[in-house]
Amino acid sequence: MIHPKRSLVGLLIITFAVANSFAEDANELLKKIDEKLTPESYEAYRKLINEEPDGSEKEFIFYTVKKGRDKVAMLYLSPASEKGRATLRLGENMWLYIPNVGKPIRITSMQSITGGIFNNADIMRVDYSAEYDPTILEQNDTEYVLELKAKSKSVAYDKLKMWATRKTLLVTKIECYSASGMLIKTLEFKEVKDFGGGVVRPSVVETHSPLNKGYRSIMIFAKMELRKFPDEVFTLNYLPKLGDLR
Amino acid sequence: MRLLLIITMALASCGILFAEDYSIDFEIPEEDEEKEKGLEWSGYLDSRYFVFHTDQSSPLYQLQFFGKDDLSKHWSQYKLELYLDADYQTRDMGFHLKTYSAYYNDSDSGFDLFEAYGNVNLSLSSFIQAGKRRYNWGKGYAFNPVGYVNSYKDPENPELAQAGLLSMSFEKIKSLDSRVLKTVTLTAIIIPPDEVLNKRYAEIKDTDLAAKLYLLLLDIDFDIMSYYSRINPSRIGFDFATNIRENIEIHGELSHFRDESKNAIVESELATTKENGYSYLMGLRYLNQWRTTVIAEYYHNGIGLNEAEYGGYIDFAQSGVENSNPEKVLNYSRTYFRGANLMRDYFYLKITQPEPFNWLYFTPSMFTIYNLNDNSLLLAVSLSYKPFTNFEVMLWPTFIMGDEGTEFGSRQFDQRYELRMKVYY
Repeated sequence: MIHPKRSLVGLLIITFAVANSFAEDANELLKKIDEKLTPESYEAYRKLINEEPDGSEKEFIFYTVKKGRDKVAMLYLSPASEKGRATLRLGENMWLYIPNVGKPIRITSMQSITGGIFNNADIMRVDYSAEYDPTILEQNDTEYVLELKAKSKSVAYDKLKMWATRKTLLVTKIECYSASGMLIKTLEFKEVKDFGGGVVRPSVVETHSPLNKGYRSIMIFAKMELRKFPDEVFTLNYLPKLGDLR
Repeated sequence: MRLLLIITMALASCGILFAEDYSIDFEIPEEDEEKEKGLEWSGYLDSRYFVFHTDQSSPLYQLQFFGKDDLSKHWSQYKLELYLDADYQTRDMGFHLKTYSAYYNDSDSGFDLFEAYGNVNLSLSSFIQAGKRRYNWGKGYAFNPVGYVNSYKDPENPELAQAGLLSMSFEKIKSLDSRVLKTVTLTAIIIPPDEVLNKRYAEIKDTDLAAKLYLLLLDIDFDIMSYYSRINPSRIGFDFATNIRENIEIHGELSHFRDESKNAIVESELATTKENGYSYLMGLRYLNQWRTTVIAEYYHNGIGLNEAEYGGYIDFAQSGVENSNPEKVLNYSRTYFRGANLMRDYFYLKITQPEPFNWLYFTPSMFTIYNLNDNSLLLAVSLSYKPFTNFEVMLWPTFIMGDEGTEFGSRQFDQRYELRMKVYY
């Protein structure tokens, strides 16, 4: 005779195991997507363009170094008015060093140190798996669609919807949502490029926002190279010396 | 001359633009002839034109311009400031120079060496620096009670470059693979004595020492700092800063001082006492969805004058005018009552709104420094416009309000309008 209590427990265990395996699959998938998008430790040069509704543009060039899942530092190379500024991100902590001020100040992920649509969390992005818990919403022959839920309230976006190609695991689009479900911005990943050293990824990220109609921001990657750094490079006292690494 | 390394990407050879009308080509300031030499020049030119409205009833005005009774209330000033920096840096060592030149007219101009120091990178985590160098301790934006080695900071313009301190420092950074304590940094500074013999020599026992221990502890920036001196007051303190939400940062500082000199006027004479006590600051930065940034700080100056003591100083200034003897009072004023925060309790508020109503490149901001002891205040509006790269024009009116005898109410000027143009290079 089948015992109803035992059956219920068994059903719960099976349900939990299946759910857990899906979660593991999603986590593994997101980690692989992260690995494809950014090597574990690298240096890169990026140009950021902010386009305004009147057609005018502002441009910045950065030298960026990254290590592990959640350590990013960045130095402004141009324009002259911003040169020497440096930013650091360690997990959810972010700082901005301004040479004239002479000390790093804490900044928040929602701020934008450059203006435009990209906020600090976009510009100093760490691995998505470090900040979000994923679930697979859809999958077909060509792509995955994932929903990413923020692990804590200090993460810039409450929820992301991510599209990635099934074959190459390269991200093609991300929609960023607030806690209320409002679409804040869309990131589009374009122009896949072989940077050498096995790094093949989109070299252009475009973003636009329904909240800022007529504005567009573009991030262009160049010269991304694998490079190892000691952890001490990713500290406040090293920020003024970041240029010594170049 | 700067040579630029052109990073050519897939489409670069034919100079193709995207349909979206931007190019994926860009030039990276890279290794070039100058870089090989390690020499880089930078800086900016700041042209400033002021219009002042004087408060001729202020005793401090009457002191400073004693005997000049026929002056109008509206004055102007034109000032040209050149900040020229040179940096020579290799991976292991470097030399840094920051100069400041001010020009009022051909007969009145000046030059200052703000910083001139050399650095040696012993490794990627240990550094030695020696020379004249600026430090900026503390987490506060407008005030820093733990800024023991800082340059003078003007709360009306906290981001203005200032002269450094002649010193030698050692820094050691240690990163830890821990979720609790991620970074430890020690900074030790040796400061030669101010008091010199024959303008060149000093007693070695009068050397000052300062040290700071930084910890990134549970995602909180935490500094413990101390200053030891035989001549100057000894101080110990701490500061902290952390983000409590994705758009809110909080910070604070606490300093304990011993034998700090407090100057007051007692029976028309200078009375200097040695005080022990605390100074502290609490503040926050907040950013809303419209990109409005708010900085708010409360500052308690433990060595500051109370309302009666400040009133005594203003009465003393008034008596100098009435007795036609301004020299002594002016001398006291410049020597013992200098600085922007003479009193005890201040509230600072700054609100910045970039590009309101989609007015591109235009950033208005407003700040106020409110003296909580005598209810006087300074209110300023800064209107910044950056139509081109490396160029900024700014209109900056300032209104100073307060009753007679209050700190802001006794200033020489009650209104100031500044038109400013900055060109970076």
